Amino acid sequence: MKRMLSLLTALAMALALAACGGNSGDSSNGGGSSSGGGASGWPEKTINIYVTHAAGGDTDYMARQLGEALQKELGQSVVCTNVTGSNGATCMQQYKDGDTDGYTFIASNTAALNGNEATSMVDFGYDAFEPVAIYGIQSGENIVVPADAPYDDLEGFIEASKANPGQIKYGTSTGGGVYIQTCVLTNLGGAQFNIIDAGDAANRLTALLGGEVDGTSLPYSTAADYIENGQLKSLCTCLSKAPAMMPDQKSASETIPELIVDTEYVLLAPKGTPAELVEAMNAAILKVTGTDEWKTMVNEYCYQDPFVLNVADSTTNLKEQRDLFQSFVPFL
Amino acid sequence: MQNKHYKMDIIPGIVIALFSIGYLALIPSIQTFTGLGSTPLTNHFVPYLWGGSLLVLSLWIIARGFRRRKKYLAEGGSIKKTSLKDALLERREVVASFAALTLYVGLMDLVGFVIMTVLYVFAQILILTPRENWGKTYVPAAITAAVSGGLLFYVFRYLLNVLLPVGILKLFGL
Amino acid sequence: MILQGLLEVLQPMTIVLVAIGTAVGIIFGSIPGLTATMAIVMFLPVTYSMTASEGISMLMALYIGGISGGLISAILLNIPGTPSSVATCFDGKPLADKGEAGKALGTGVVFSFVGTIIGIGLLMILAPVLCDFALKFQAYEYCALAVFSLSMVIALTGHDMPKGLISAVLGALLATVGLAPIDSKPRFTFGLYQLNNGFALVVLLIGLFAIAEVMAYAETVRQKQDFTIRSNVKIKGVGFTFKEFVGQLRNAVVSALIGVGIGILPGIGGGVSCMISYTVSKNTSKRRELYGTGIMDGVVASETANNGTIGGAMIPLLSLGIPGDAATAMLLGGLQIHNVAPGPLIYEKNGVVVYAIFFAMVLSAIFMMLFMLLGMRFFVTVLKVPKNYLLPVVVVLCAIGAIGNANMIFDTYCMVGFGLMSYLLIKSKVPTVPMILGFILGPTFEQNLRRVSQLTSSDPFWNHPIFCVLIIATAFVVVFSVRANLKDAQRAQEAERQALKAGGADE
Repeated sequence: MKRMLSLLTALAMALALAACGGNSGDSSNGGGSSSGGGASGWPEKTINIYVTHAAGGDTDYMARQLGEALQKELGQSVVCTNVTGSNGATCMQQYKDGDTDGYTFIASNTAALNGNEATSMVDFGYDAFEPVAIYGIQSGENIVVPADAPYDDLEGFIEASKANPGQIKYGTSTGGGVYIQTCVLTNLGGAQFNIIDAGDAANRLTALLGGEVDGTSLPYSTAADYIENGQLKSLCTCLSKAPAMMPDQKSASETIPELIVDTEYVLLAPKGTPAELVEAMNAAILKVTGTDEWKTMVNEYCYQDPFVLNVADSTTNLKEQRDLFQSFVPFL
Repeated sequence: MQNKHYKMDIIPGIVIALFSIGYLALIPSIQTFTGLGSTPLTNHFVPYLWGGSLLVLSLWIIARGFRRRKKYLAEGGSIKKTSLKDALLERREVVASFAALTLYVGLMDLVGFVIMTVLYVFAQILILTPRENWGKTYVPAAITAAVSGGLLFYVFRYLLNVLLPVGILKLFGL
Repeated sequence: MILQGLLEVLQPMTIVLVAIGTAVGIIFGSIPGLTATMAIVMFLPVTYSMTASEGISMLMALYIGGISGGLISAILLNIPGTPSSVATCFDGKPLADKGEAGKALGTGVVFSFVGTIIGIGLLMILAPVLCDFALKFQAYEYCALAVFSLSMVIALTGHDMPKGLISAVLGALLATVGLAPIDSKPRFTFGLYQLNNGFALVVLLIGLFAIAEVMAYAETVRQKQDFTIRSNVKIKGVGFTFKEFVGQLRNAVVSALIGVGIGILPGIGGGVSCMISYTVSKNTSKRRELYGTGIMDGVVASETANNGTIGGAMIPLLSLGIPGDAATAMLLGGLQIHNVAPGPLIYEKNGVVVYAIFFAMVLSAIFMMLFMLLGMRFFVTVLKVPKNYLLPVVVVLCAIGAIGNANMIFDTYCMVGFGLMSYLLIKSKVPTVPMILGFILGPTFEQNLRRVSQLTSSDPFWNHPIFCVLIIATAFVVVFSVRANLKDAQRAQEAERQALKAGGADE
């Protein structure tokens, strides 16, 4: 009987922990529903943020950091839930026509939002939502080759492929941002690679280490250790501008002006959410991302400085990226 | 005796064969990808492989079924006929269970998890209880249904963040 | 550094978290529909605010508890709690039906522990060597490995080979629904975006096993019966003798090695490892014909292997940063969030955390065995709950699991659909287990076959010795299993004839 009791205690503890974890804002610290913006009374209940990518990834992490900060600011629970699949398309499809009462938001990244439209994975773009805010920028994808490769920059890599057409194997991941980048490399950069599908970042890494491909694109964080221990080297970043914490990286756009894949974290609301609620949320986001705490987090996690835009700028920014991606459509 | 079960080969064989033909027929309409880095084997190849294998295997068991039928008749077996209605009636608990389950998931989004779970658990307990014992089952079944519906909803929706549908309880601010 | 790692884990807070993690993992694992992966997904955000060692220790505990917990429902209800315990049903349930539920559970628990420890041991000692091996596996090798594993289906199906193959092909065919590998074009989705992700393994598993079990019970409602299954709830010690334990050691070591081997190769996972190890154990055993009737050997093979897979999967995760399945992908995220970057430099940069992970795994394994052995007496009381009350609640839990998997209600429709399919297949005497193998391996096969088709012009197959070996091995397995199956079929017919002679009646 004693043993059973101990088991039951363990169970109870587990549930208690689940309680603190799952809903860590039950004890809404009445910090203050202070966000001005003309939406009187909002928020008066739990805010739901649906995250388009799985727990453990950067999109999820940033969304949860934002949610936690907003919870303190708004004095209401902010619950992040992952609805994943198809590079975020599943979630966006499910919630683009969701409740417009200001308690439903979608956290995603711009490369997925615009990329899925460009590769016609979905038939809607950012304008199917009310953009709330762009609230960060990723550490970026880097074009990576083995350290003993005879080229040191993107130009040399492309020249090498022209000298030996179809012999250099380049690992891509068909359909996503990496694919868009590969298409630009080939069509606008004139590279003549043998394009091999090598799957997601982890699989591309394996393929590169195992010698199945001669070069590929990897998120900086995935490649960092291998670059440091001298197995791999990075030719350039695909961001428009090198991350704030690593300013000496070259940008791909120096060689091919169109080769810009900026992955920015974005919060969206379902189409038709009243403008004053969107503004109120944006104001709260601007406020919580202005802290030193947020800066330290972003510096450490994204190698970037905070990058947060108001509603109008966020929309312009999304439009610019969409136009760029749409210009690639003919050869995608 | 194996031969007696020839129907176990013929009927499923025909159903699976039809299914695989339908599957194969859908393949040509799949959009292929011909852009940069496309694979010489397209996304049609493996579906054709599986669909084709399934068709061959189903034809195999159909043929086996007819062979067994012949042997069975040669051994002097007689063909018993059971109507579909009788077969379903014989398995009325199974039919009822599937019906309850279908209603349960079908209405869950609209009506909500709590109400549908309470109704479903109650109904399913009765379905799985012999008729003569129903009298003394009502009360415990109702308790089980109410407790499981409420408790599970609370634990999973509020503690573990699973998006169980609230349904019409939304009107009451849940 | 090793000592420091140990000290990190021996913090009271960490110990408590590991204990909680293991317990929650066991609960998630044991409830059909809720899996180890789901437990990790749900608790990962909770660990964001912990220290690296605390968070990761807890995730490891969830993983180990989750994989181990699956055996409880497999043995007691004939419904595998997680994909990794599918093969545990084969002998665990018959053993429980014989009134030896205690022995089945005890065996499962102790050998889960053994498997976990062997896996951790190899992880600690041989990780670098095994990593090089894992890197040798590229498109060609995976393609051959998928074919090789699929050939195990023939051995799994017993004497009715065509129906076993139908089941496997049907599984592979179901897995083609959704966005195609490589090019992400929708296939067989009928325009439903919910189908773009394809069917989830856990939903298929629920349909095939949990719903089928409910229907099997529904058929017996009007038969005169006792509502409870009698079982020896009196369990002595761990349920089996020391002599029996020693007798199983060879089987356990082989199974653990199979488990670790499959764990090292990203993308295959525990669901396959338990079935392959069961098949290998069966086909190399002297008492081959007793498998499936409820003997320890089958439980040992399945449970040692699936827990061995944990240690195996951690090898590429830690040393290369490559996750093998959904659960380890979550762990990778959990590590990165704490600024621990798995990869070749992990020992230099985060050595303390790595050793903390090892000790947390050992600690979780110990807690797992402790909790489950203590809990055994409690678990078997499940057998005393009348099934007409138990099964409806199980179905509800399954529905929650189906919804929770991707937060989509649509998955419950699939669950009912698969349930109906499974019922009809079982009625047609088509085994449903090979379907799981086909479902998991079909996409691996397709993806890598198509990559091979890209590579073949510049990189022919004879450059890939592992590929060639695997293909030859496949041929051997096919020939061997077909012969064994024919023998089984003959023996079955012989027995039938004998019975016919003795009884006279055709019953």
